[in-house]
Amino acid sequence: LNDAQTIAVEVTGIEQVTPLIKHFRLAPVGGGELPVFSGGSHIIVVMQGAERVHRNPYSLLGSPNELGTYEIGVRRMEESRGGSHFMHDTIQVGSRLEIAHPVNLFGLDKIARKHLLIAGGIGITPFLAQLEDLHDGAVPYELHYSVRAAEHAAFLERLRRLAGARLHMYYDSEGRLIPFEALLANQPLGTHVYVCGPAGMIQHVISTAHACGWPDSHIHWEQFSAPPVGDALRCFSRARKSACMYHPIKACSKASRRPASKCPICAAAASAASATPKFWSWMGSWCTTIIFCRTRKRPRRRASCPACRARIANAWCWTCSVEQGVDP
Amino acid sequence: MLVTGIKSKPVYAPLQADTRGRFHLMLGMGVGAAPLLRVIDEMRSASAHSLKHTRVLFVSEAGAAAAEVAHGGPAQGAPATAPGIEQFNAAALGEVQIFAHPQPLLDQFRAILEQSLMGTRLYVAGPESFIGLAMKIALEFNLNKDEIRAEECGTLARRVYCIHCRSTTENVRHNIVRCVGCERWLLVRDHYSRRLAAYMGVMVDAEAPGELPPLKEVFL
Repeated sequence: LNDAQTIAVEVTGIEQVTPLIKHFRLAPVGGGELPVFSGGSHIIVVMQGAERVHRNPYSLLGSPNELGTYEIGVRRMEESRGGSHFMHDTIQVGSRLEIAHPVNLFGLDKIARKHLLIAGGIGITPFLAQLEDLHDGAVPYELHYSVRAAEHAAFLERLRRLAGARLHMYYDSEGRLIPFEALLANQPLGTHVYVCGPAGMIQHVISTAHACGWPDSHIHWEQFSAPPVGDALRCFSRARKSACMYHPIKACSKASRRPASKCPICAAAASAASATPKFWSWMGSWCTTIIFCRTRKRPRRRASCPACRARIANAWCWTCSVEQGVDP
Repeated sequence: MLVTGIKSKPVYAPLQADTRGRFHLMLGMGVGAAPLLRVIDEMRSASAHSLKHTRVLFVSEAGAAAAEVAHGGPAQGAPATAPGIEQFNAAALGEVQIFAHPQPLLDQFRAILEQSLMGTRLYVAGPESFIGLAMKIALEFNLNKDEIRAEECGTLARRVYCIHCRSTTENVRHNIVRCVGCERWLLVRDHYSRRLAAYMGVMVDAEAPGELPPLKEVFL
């Protein structure tokens, strides 16, 4: 990560939209316009914390037509690796941040005949920007938004203005749940479903859609919250059956098929204090949760990111990685 | 003169049942009955239930031959051993419709797609030009390669789109054909358009008028 890849921005507005979600406006330092983006894009915000650098992805929720400021929504995560707490507690109006150029891994299908948008909680953010693209009404769509309770429904006014009657609200507190089966079983041919929210919700939508006969190419999902630290980690040897990349011993490949909290060979624990970003790197964590064991200074061969197929030089995909290191 | 290895030329694979789908729609023409019956057998052995959600639209051998005659192509006698319509009817499918001509089938196909739900799988078996016309309609409904399977069987006769006058010549069997629109001699190329469901035809004697390469029957 060098400076040329990031853009310096200043926080120009902060609004507490729900008890857990803060809405930030970011404008380029020195004025001017930020790079063009499309609905569903995200940026990586680089935060200089006291002990380490946080790099968190956040969806852009503003209109793609307004490039003077970027808008992001940050939910305070209970099991935070520090990034969201930093955004909530430390960042003030006037604070400086670095951001990466926007990247879209969650764009709308351009030739879909209908869009079915499903959001859970903070997962509404990518859809806010997409609704601006869908606003002309050329393609029919439905937005189903599920939240815990009325006070947690972020950006509701804006959603009502953009989507109108196409917005369907579901409150857990009232016992109203999205009827996934009925929704997915009765969509016209050529519909694409997009889901963003908690991991369980995404899994449920994917499995329900499969049961209704949907092919993968019509199912789109994005999840930003990383898996719990220290769990479900796999040594990076999936691609090579014979041996682990760094430990050419057969046992490694066997062990690596099971989720492991530490590398079976060098026993570097992922959750212990020894697991510094120097040894463990995170890549494409919301797609496959691959942990990259790096006991040597340089990887022997280059890997590619499973999400975007970008080549990764240092076990760190700039395009879609969640964080560079796992915070113990 | 023909360039080989053109990427746009479609490649077809033998039909296979996709039991992940909820609804199955099958289109067939002429000898395409055999692959469709094979898929129906596969589906029956996987789960008898799925046959209830299977519809077949079929142009009979006679209809297929008549279509060729109508376009000036040579008529072919129907092979006596070709699977018949009775076998579709005997398979206890959701619905079987037999057509005498491809066009009413394609009209009905479009009407069905307008009513269809996600989870539909499409199987097409027949001559390439028939597959192309069906795929063209399916593309309008945003069906993609995960939802469409096609097996080519029967004649290789091509639909050829004239890049000069934009008319389409049907049932082309020769490497060179006279365009029905502008009467230019067209070289039939392997460049294929899924949107037009036709191969590209380019004037063959533009640089030396009247100099035609030998005429060969290549798309049988």
